[in-house]
Amino acid sequence: MSDEREPSSEVSRRRFLTVLGTTSAGAAMLSGCSTEKVEKLIPYLVQSEDQVPGIPTWYASTCTECSAGCGLHVRVREGRPVKLEGNPDNPINKGALCARGQAGLQGLYNPGRVRTPMVKQGGTWKEISWDDAIAMLAQKVGAASGKLAVISGAGRGTFSSFLGDWTSAAGGRVVRYQAFDLEPVREANLRVFGRDEIPAYDFGAAKYIVSFGADFLETFGSPTEYQLGYAESHGFTGGREPAKHVYFAPRASLTGLNADEWHAVVPGSEASLALAMAGVLMQQRGGSVSGMASVSVEDAAKATGLSGETITRLAKEFASASPSLAVAGGIGSQTAGATELCAAVNLLNYAAGNVGQTVRFGADLDHGDGFGALEALSKSLGSGEVEVLLVHEANPVFTAPRATKFGDALAKVPFKVSTAQYFDETAAASDLLLPSHHALERWDDLNARAGYWGLMQPVLTPVFSSMAPGDILLKTAQKAGGAMAKFSAATWEEQLKSTWQARFPGGDAMWRAALARGGMYQDAPVTAVKVGNADVSTSAPALEGAGEFTLLPYATSHYFDGRGANRPWLAENPDPVTKITWQSWVELSPEAAARINVREGEILKVTSPHGSVEAAAYIYPGLRADVIAIPLGLGHTELGEFAKGRGVNYLDLLGPVTGSFIPYVSVKVQVERTHAYRKVAKTEGTTRQLGRGIAEAMPLAYASKGMTLEQSAKAAGHPEHEINTPRELEALQGWRDGQVGLKDGEGRRLGNYAGEHAMWGMAVDLSRCTGCSACVTACYAENNIAWVGEEQILRGREMSWMRIERYWEGGSDGEPIEARFVPMMCQHCDNAPCEPVCPVYAAYHTPDGLNGQVYNRCVGTRYCANNCPYKVRYFNWLAYNKKAFPEPLNLQLNPDVTVRARGVMEKCTFCVQRIRGAQHVARLEDRPLKDGDVVTACQQACPSRAISFGDMHDPESAVLKIKQDPRGYHILEEINVRPAVTYLAKVLRSEPVAHAASGGGEHN
Amino acid sequence: MAVIAQPPPTQTHADVTRDVVGTLSPATKGYNLMLAGAVGLFLVGVVTFTLILRDGLGLAGYNPPIFWSVFITTFVFWVGIGHAGTLISAILFLFRSPWRTAVYRATEAMTVFAVMTAGLFPIIHIGRQWIFYWLLPYPNQRYLWPNFKSPLVWDVFAIGTYLTVSTLFLIFGLIPDVAAVRDKATGWRKQVYAALSLNWQGTDNQWRHYSRAYLYLAALAAPLVLSVHSVVSWDFASSLIPGWHGTIFAPYFVAGAIYSGVGMVFTLLIPLRKYLRLEHMIGDYHFDNMSKLTLFTGTILFYAYGMEYFVAWYSGNTFEQTTFWRRAFGPMWWGGWAMIICNGLVSQLLWFRKIRVNLTALFVISIFINIGMWFERYVIINSLSNDYIPYAWDGMVPTWADWGILAGSFGWFGMWFLLFAKNFPIVAIQEIKEFIPMPRKHAASAGHH
Amino acid sequence: MAARKMTPGVLASFEHIDVACDTIRALRAKGRKDITVFYSHPSHELEEAVGHKVSPVRLFTLIGGLTGTTAAFSMQIWMNRNWPLLVGGKPIVAIPAFVVIGFELTVLIGALCTLFGVFFLSTILRHKGVTYDGRFSDDRIGVFVPAGPDQAPALEKMFKDAGAVEVQRAA
Repeated sequence: MSDEREPSSEVSRRRFLTVLGTTSAGAAMLSGCSTEKVEKLIPYLVQSEDQVPGIPTWYASTCTECSAGCGLHVRVREGRPVKLEGNPDNPINKGALCARGQAGLQGLYNPGRVRTPMVKQGGTWKEISWDDAIAMLAQKVGAASGKLAVISGAGRGTFSSFLGDWTSAAGGRVVRYQAFDLEPVREANLRVFGRDEIPAYDFGAAKYIVSFGADFLETFGSPTEYQLGYAESHGFTGGREPAKHVYFAPRASLTGLNADEWHAVVPGSEASLALAMAGVLMQQRGGSVSGMASVSVEDAAKATGLSGETITRLAKEFASASPSLAVAGGIGSQTAGATELCAAVNLLNYAAGNVGQTVRFGADLDHGDGFGALEALSKSLGSGEVEVLLVHEANPVFTAPRATKFGDALAKVPFKVSTAQYFDETAAASDLLLPSHHALERWDDLNARAGYWGLMQPVLTPVFSSMAPGDILLKTAQKAGGAMAKFSAATWEEQLKSTWQARFPGGDAMWRAALARGGMYQDAPVTAVKVGNADVSTSAPALEGAGEFTLLPYATSHYFDGRGANRPWLAENPDPVTKITWQSWVELSPEAAARINVREGEILKVTSPHGSVEAAAYIYPGLRADVIAIPLGLGHTELGEFAKGRGVNYLDLLGPVTGSFIPYVSVKVQVERTHAYRKVAKTEGTTRQLGRGIAEAMPLAYASKGMTLEQSAKAAGHPEHEINTPRELEALQGWRDGQVGLKDGEGRRLGNYAGEHAMWGMAVDLSRCTGCSACVTACYAENNIAWVGEEQILRGREMSWMRIERYWEGGSDGEPIEARFVPMMCQHCDNAPCEPVCPVYAAYHTPDGLNGQVYNRCVGTRYCANNCPYKVRYFNWLAYNKKAFPEPLNLQLNPDVTVRARGVMEKCTFCVQRIRGAQHVARLEDRPLKDGDVVTACQQACPSRAISFGDMHDPESAVLKIKQDPRGYHILEEINVRPAVTYLAKVLRSEPVAHAASGGGEHN
Repeated sequence: MAVIAQPPPTQTHADVTRDVVGTLSPATKGYNLMLAGAVGLFLVGVVTFTLILRDGLGLAGYNPPIFWSVFITTFVFWVGIGHAGTLISAILFLFRSPWRTAVYRATEAMTVFAVMTAGLFPIIHIGRQWIFYWLLPYPNQRYLWPNFKSPLVWDVFAIGTYLTVSTLFLIFGLIPDVAAVRDKATGWRKQVYAALSLNWQGTDNQWRHYSRAYLYLAALAAPLVLSVHSVVSWDFASSLIPGWHGTIFAPYFVAGAIYSGVGMVFTLLIPLRKYLRLEHMIGDYHFDNMSKLTLFTGTILFYAYGMEYFVAWYSGNTFEQTTFWRRAFGPMWWGGWAMIICNGLVSQLLWFRKIRVNLTALFVISIFINIGMWFERYVIINSLSNDYIPYAWDGMVPTWADWGILAGSFGWFGMWFLLFAKNFPIVAIQEIKEFIPMPRKHAASAGHH
Repeated sequence: MAARKMTPGVLASFEHIDVACDTIRALRAKGRKDITVFYSHPSHELEEAVGHKVSPVRLFTLIGGLTGTTAAFSMQIWMNRNWPLLVGGKPIVAIPAFVVIGFELTVLIGALCTLFGVFFLSTILRHKGVTYDGRFSDDRIGVFVPAGPDQAPALEKMFKDAGAVEVQRAA
């Protein structure tokens, strides 16, 4: 359905951007002028042609929040980027953008950024001029005479190769280090197929998806791309049977919660499972893989703790679907044996004939040199081999386990230079700080995979006195002279541009086109591979320590490797799985909690052979009873005010790294109660929907028959929800019709209501929604929503206009636990209960069916919020707007949206500013508003394409068609508020778990 | 139940005037201490409110989905208190029940000051207190009018009218008595009372219009009593929150209001009558009757509580059922039971005459009633904590700001009541006299025709 | 009130209500209409003796009340149509919702008019002052009859015979 909707919006953007291509050179000029000028009341003495006050300018760019290389459209107002959106032209993210990508803007304006060059003298930092800084670096590099090493976190691209040349010219070596580098995947590919690369996975084409702990919706590889594909294949769209998704891991991550079946296998046992499945598959299909160790279903069952039947059943299902897809290598299951697991999964894919189909070699996704390389380097740091160490946009001091003693090794280096953007742990440990531009401030590119070159261009005057790393290197080289004198380009921009023109034909036209599209994208040909070495050890890797629990990491989709920790948008956006904000926590299964008698919020002391941390307990049903999990990425000692000292660092519990990657699952831990408590800052109240039909679901069998929810419920023999007798229903219906009469009568003829108007409506497809919460951050960014911080969230005062509710179904007496995600925003009811109770008409109904909220009329009686059955109204209890946008975060504020003051109510507006904007454009172009002209922020971001929006009075609108889907339902239909948001019921492989008895037996 | 007959008058008109005017004698140390205490509490409230004005309502314990809490609870509490006064002074006047005469002035004063207190809360509790007047229909160049469909605007009119009418009623009743005080007073006080007595001389002509007017005022005030708390109850009943959305609310709230009001009358009058030495004017007869009123309204309340639970169960409506299940056994169970015990059960003690005339017992019971009725409102409002969307459910803990404002409201009320009791006849001289026959020369021969 | 010019006449005060009543009746039998009687509390006995008609103050109440009702409804209807805003899918003019304020204003304006009525009738119309005795608000009943020097002695005698405890002349 998303494909039906895309074209119109794409066309308009393309046209828009062709204009931009020609003008974006002007943007480069713009970045020349200094910040002081911009702070004057009138920014432009001579107004630059592509900056019309009040009119947004769009620039194409590339996201650098992870190595996936998603394309960006940057919305710039008055010279300030105010919103990041996915670039529809980019084949990786096709216009979608994850929460981390959205929050890139808070990276640009982050108060934790390094603001000027600084040098450490006698343990204290001192500001110096760029010239002195460059001179100092040049002098040191010269003096090092080859004893130079570089750790670079930069993605693969023109810069990283230039950095390579630069370093070798200086006689040093570069280690490209990225956290979550998927080393096991690459090693397994090297061993089995002889290719040291990360292939492209096509989730969209797969008819059956098995994930061995690969969290492809969160941190594994290229999450947004995978989620787009996953929604296509796994989401329900009549016609074809949706792909089934099975997840094997000791803990259900967000990916696991979206699976149709989650099997909590013994940590480290997955390899045997994969091989056993391959065995069954080959029995069924014939064929064999030479040299592949055969593992019997029984052995696999013994190892994993699953029943033989289950394994056989799943293997058979897997075998009978083609193409299918098996993935492994996620952080959550990264044991010392991860490589073996990935190798086994390679063989499974190979046997199933997926290699070349859904697993495409030749794409060669960007990756670093692996943790092994970093370890090797850090060994040599102490030994005097390295005089000067340059760390570029990497934070190994935080992302390497403490036990690896990287920090100590670093300290031994006589001169440490950092070109960090943020004052992170590594930057703090260096001697010279050369702040580099944010990706939105500089010319750069990213070769995210073979054939894909994403471009970045400066879209604003640099926020601080930073410099493009390319320029830093060039200036240093020219200063140092000697072997480095050959780097003679005047500016990094020049060098990048010439490199591009050398790389691609077409000269300036190519350059402009590339800028407009955000890069050049040519799919690399699929490389055929054969199994070389097929031997896999299935013995579960040994775990260190004698504790009763195996410690699992939880790589959250918000914090990633920790770089998200200083972004309030990410910290406040509830974790999709636990709904916890701002804090670290310790996850235990209900059984474990009962066994050691722990309540939620009790602070637990978790002790491993290498350290111990303390965090509050959170009882999570998606966990084996013999494991506990702690989120990664918190417990920073630097990085900025929002991250510093918040939570605990999982990595403190791990041991030294012997292999080529960090075995995140490698220790057993002791858990002690402290009898101290700390309220968990979670945004959820009750985890069960008590049979209230909020997050509805229906079995695939009935859905594909095109049944409605009622029909399906009847067919499944569920008790009727309806409590009214037919006669009462008839009366009710009559009364409702009467009401329609009333509203379409007098009300519609008076004042502004006279005449024809649009009727805005939204639809959300729960069979596509994965709960990833990208929409939440998009909403914060678009609507200037203030984050309120941990203390206020403990009082339930978060302001998230758009929230993802997560309900549990089943989970008790043997039933599988099932998660239901419901995006909840203002439903813009026809009979909005919030409106009539407002004494001052601050809440009223607009002619185009919106539930308007007039901030400056609101006196703050809060009656509307009380009377809102969906509880989607949010009140400014304190002056949140004063606290939430400290310099320079305030530069991000969207000029089209009021920043709400203390004492007023606010809520989702269906992005009314975008509606009015589109209407103005249509009027200027003297045409009626087209379907797809209005795209709400959440809809735009959604990597599942689960949200659609449009005019319900337009019979041709896509949203209307979707609303007519038999799966469609309104939440709380029975109270007759007639919401404008239609939800399409989730589609289940299994019988939907019977609704829990409501009324009495609710547990909080 | 056994009835206590009205005691035969033991005093002459002169005694009555003397005794009542006597209550205005200069204040004692005890009085001044109490007054100081009240003012102190009031100042606590003032400081709290100032901080709220500075930082915002967030200082209070609000925890969405609980958007209303202690402030609205206290508002309803005080409006409720206000009801006993007008009931006794107006409705019982129309019913010609003789026992009201001795107590109605005190209760009426209580009414006015309680409503004055309640009237502050709609301002205190809103988010932008400085523009509270936007709720009034005043002409403005924006051509914006308030939304007359909103129960909150109904409230503005209901409370406004109630405050005005009950104040006028009090002042009107005071005129002849102030005149009597004037005629006993001396010096500057005489001047003051003279001014306040509006030149009252008790001529046949004045009495003629006065008594008529009093009758009509009573006739207007009577339905007002019933309407005001009905309107207040509709603030809740006209919403769709389970636990609020009930047709039973208007009568339920009115009964509760009178119940709490009479409770407060006991709390104030029992000590007051001792302090002002009015035992021979306010006695068993009056307390017995007021107790019966309490018993009556308390029983209605008890029934309403039962009905709420029954209807919740009988409706088969899962939202209602959950709400009431949680009211009894949820996180706020103690509040739910507090209201049933303090209001429902304790009131039933008044079936016993011994208790009805035992002032100590009555005083203790009255304290229970005050607490119970405050919690009733708190519990009802707390239905917000669990309405339609379980994900949004949450509880709340009041903070110092909540308690500060609550304390301030008691201080504000106490301050006014004490000042009134010392400076105006707390017992209606003229109406007491009405029940004491004047001396006759020729026996009763030329008595009434 | 001291400023006001006093009407000359005779003021008698009584202790016994029956005596007072008889005296008043006697005076009225003599055809005197301009008697002023002072007493400290509402008393039917005296009212009968004086024999006034029912006070017209109720008219003020009625008119006030009706004004209130009309004012309330016309205000609400006009203001809602003056700037029509849809809320909760309710009609712009929703009479049931207006009833509450209709009632409140009826009571409010009704009450205000009643009070106005009292002051209008009992105070403002009394253009002339008469002598007054503080004890009338305590336990005495006063009867005042305007009289020039010529009639005064007769009146004084009459009051004394009737049993007035005190008779004084106001000039």
